[in-house]
Amino acid sequence: MPLDTRTATAHDPSHDELRRLEAGLDSLQAVPETPRGAVRRTVDGVLPPILLLIGLALAWQVYILIVKPRPDLIPGPLDVFGALVSAWNSDRLQLAVTTSLERGGLGFIIAVAIGTPIGLLLAECRPVRRALGPLLSGLQVLPSVAWVPAAIIWFGLSDATVYFVILMGAVPSIANGLVSGVDQIPPQLRRVGTVLGASRLQMATLVVLPAALPGYFSGLKQGWAFAWRSLMAAEIIVIGGDIGFGLGSMLHQSRELADLSGVLATILVILFVGILVELVIFAPIERRLLRRRGLMAAGLR
Amino acid sequence: MSSLTNVAVAPTATALEPAAITVDALGKRYGTGPLVLDNINLSIEPGQFVCLLGASGCGKSTLLNIIAGLEKPTEGAVTVASGKAAVMFQDAALFPWLTAGRNVELALKLGGVPRKDRRGEALELLDLVNLADAGDKRPHELSGGMRQRVALARSLAQDRKVLLMDEPFAALDAITRDLLHEELERVWRQTGRTIVFVTHNVREAARLGERILLMSSRPGRIVNEWTITDTGSRRIESPEVARLSDEITDQLRQEIRRNAA
Repeated sequence: MPLDTRTATAHDPSHDELRRLEAGLDSLQAVPETPRGAVRRTVDGVLPPILLLIGLALAWQVYILIVKPRPDLIPGPLDVFGALVSAWNSDRLQLAVTTSLERGGLGFIIAVAIGTPIGLLLAECRPVRRALGPLLSGLQVLPSVAWVPAAIIWFGLSDATVYFVILMGAVPSIANGLVSGVDQIPPQLRRVGTVLGASRLQMATLVVLPAALPGYFSGLKQGWAFAWRSLMAAEIIVIGGDIGFGLGSMLHQSRELADLSGVLATILVILFVGILVELVIFAPIERRLLRRRGLMAAGLR
Repeated sequence: MSSLTNVAVAPTATALEPAAITVDALGKRYGTGPLVLDNINLSIEPGQFVCLLGASGCGKSTLLNIIAGLEKPTEGAVTVASGKAAVMFQDAALFPWLTAGRNVELALKLGGVPRKDRRGEALELLDLVNLADAGDKRPHELSGGMRQRVALARSLAQDRKVLLMDEPFAALDAITRDLLHEELERVWRQTGRTIVFVTHNVREAARLGERILLMSSRPGRIVNEWTITDTGSRRIESPEVARLSDEITDQLRQEIRRNAA
């Protein structure tokens, strides 16, 4: 590389002048980022939903106090909270959350392992995409609960039924997410890869996969949402056999007992587990991913 | 080909060294469409700074892409004596998930530079474009001009004797572009690269080129060329550049007018 020539002009005054000029222009044009502290960010992110939650619970309580509806039809927030506490005390709540999270987590991981290669194949291989693409989009629209009857006949009342339904819900989302991530790669990036002399493998690992990461990640997020929903649906319908006690089963049980407080409490738990997974696992990774690429909208920083 | 009676302009000197780039009876059409490039013959000497000038859609980028090996010619042949060429585009196209330094390092990696040398070389290359301090910044934190300089450093990292540039400064503001002209000229003089620079900006061509090729549109042909014998540094405001620009612009307009009929 003929770089050694640079020392020759290192003390060229006109070069120094150009350097200063450029440095000045660079500092004028660079956009200064105003980073906000982690505490501030957390407060900004957490405070508004919590305030809203408190507000909603208060409104609910006020409604109960003023209208005084039948408690078996419209329980108050305190009844629901009581149902939660009693479920906790009888260890049913812990068992249900652990069982469901375990199934959801494991099912999601299997779905990623299956959906990712399918997505890559679809993205990079035109004939496969033409053949399989519409089917996969269709599967994404089809509610995965629809598979429950078939799954029961195939696998009986076992965990396999639950996992099957989770997979049918999550795999299409993950595969489609990866496909759209790959589709959205600016063509210049691939061209640069070619120009820089990347081999096929290098192109895939050093250019295509990292470039597709944001799209792939939103596919993963959607895949988790579908996995969690499918799991709940499956747990509500599939009861008995060697199936463990999950949140869906708890919901079903409360309904059988006509315990509306218990039903509402379980719904809230399902909701909170979903929110928690999003906040604790997905949101930080996504924020990091997008911020590093400058893709973060100003308001979300 | 015509020569002009300008002090700064002289007919093309015949090459004594073997040419860095040879284009022989090149033709290009897409599918059954009209001819995009027609019978292009070209010989570019090593170390020469050549500007390829023409109106939009005249096929100058196509010609560049063919020289780069990104597209195949329909007829004729292109030879780049040193093997492959480095290319720089209008869009810096830096990888957004890598820092400026890592972008340059990736080019070194793909060029087969061993891992332990990459960091140092990347830093040297960034220093060459006055960006030694920006190595840890990510592309979105850089201004357009800085990004384009990182892209320049990245194409120099390929260590190829020929550098092809496709309107690399077209999207920049005038002040930045002016500075980058100076920067590019300095880098060219220091590294001795053969540069083919595609532009639709007549003044840019007159400011930078040692040799300017004017292309006609539909089909793209090389209709005229100018060689600047005074190879010293010049500014875009200088009278020679203005005079040359006027002359080229006149002919460019004539070529464009032909398409009205």
